[in-house]
Amino acid sequence: MTQSHRKVSGRKPLSASFIARVGLMATLALIFSYVEAIIPYNPGVPGIKLGIANVVTVVALYKFGAKDAVAVSVIRVVLAGFLFNGLFGMLYALAGAAISLTGMILLKKTGLFSVTGVSMAAGVLHNLGQLLVAAALIEDLRIFFYFPVLLFSGIAAGILVGIASVLALRALR
Amino acid sequence: MKQFIRKADIILFIVLVAIGLAASAALTLSHGEAGSGAKVIIESGGDLYARYPLAEDRTVVVPAPKQTAVDAPQSYPDDPAELQYDYYNVVVISNGKVSVTEASCKNQVCVKHGIISRPGESIVCLPNRMVVRIENGSGEGGGYDSVTS
Repeated sequence: MTQSHRKVSGRKPLSASFIARVGLMATLALIFSYVEAIIPYNPGVPGIKLGIANVVTVVALYKFGAKDAVAVSVIRVVLAGFLFNGLFGMLYALAGAAISLTGMILLKKTGLFSVTGVSMAAGVLHNLGQLLVAAALIEDLRIFFYFPVLLFSGIAAGILVGIASVLALRALR
Repeated sequence: MKQFIRKADIILFIVLVAIGLAASAALTLSHGEAGSGAKVIIESGGDLYARYPLAEDRTVVVPAPKQTAVDAPQSYPDDPAELQYDYYNVVVISNGKVSVTEASCKNQVCVKHGIISRPGESIVCLPNRMVVRIENGSGEGGGYDSVTS
């Protein structure tokens, strides 16, 4: 598995195994997105969610590498946007995904942080990305009153997703 | 990958929490203090009666809408506080603080309300249908109708 993976991420960008693997993981992530979308809970502040689908992203990052994680994340966000969240939701989620993926990949490269820590940072960065998009769309910096709320919720959600990811990675080993 | 938490995670966690606490503290402070552009909004009978900068000291006599033409003053003295109405409130803005010092009504709730100085605070006089409130001057109205998620 690791052998074929190395070959895939090396030269041939879109090998059959990459496509199949990413397709599977994106499907799984989409199902998580759907499950989360149908759970009725209202945290009061827009933007707060658990983001269980990110478990798949974290697992993809640690098991298969950055390219898989990016592919899974982008496919999931675009599809979930069309299916459940709407175009604006998609825009927010894409910004969040871009910034949090960048952060995750960089933090993972330092080798200092555990999966939980990387996921926690990703949760915070995801919310920060959404806030930046919101500020750009509304053209009003006062939206940063949300910042502390989103920061703490990002920490909490990131830790939970991280723990779930560690468990998933253990089971997958 | 084998561990749940490493030392760097805890440091990162503490840093993030510290940023969050600092940001919320800064936000509550900046929100709590009236900015230089803060305005005193006076409404009478549900309509905007006047809008003054909080920084400028002044005394305003606010006539109640139930005033009749007969009650309205015939001449306007230099000191607005000397205007004579049957139904009125006297609003005093002084040193960035606002209070109602005098009211024609019986219950004097607005006078007893005391001093307001922060954005969002208000003094209400129900018998004269008058509202005094402080708003931060940045933009009209303030606040959002809604935010999409």
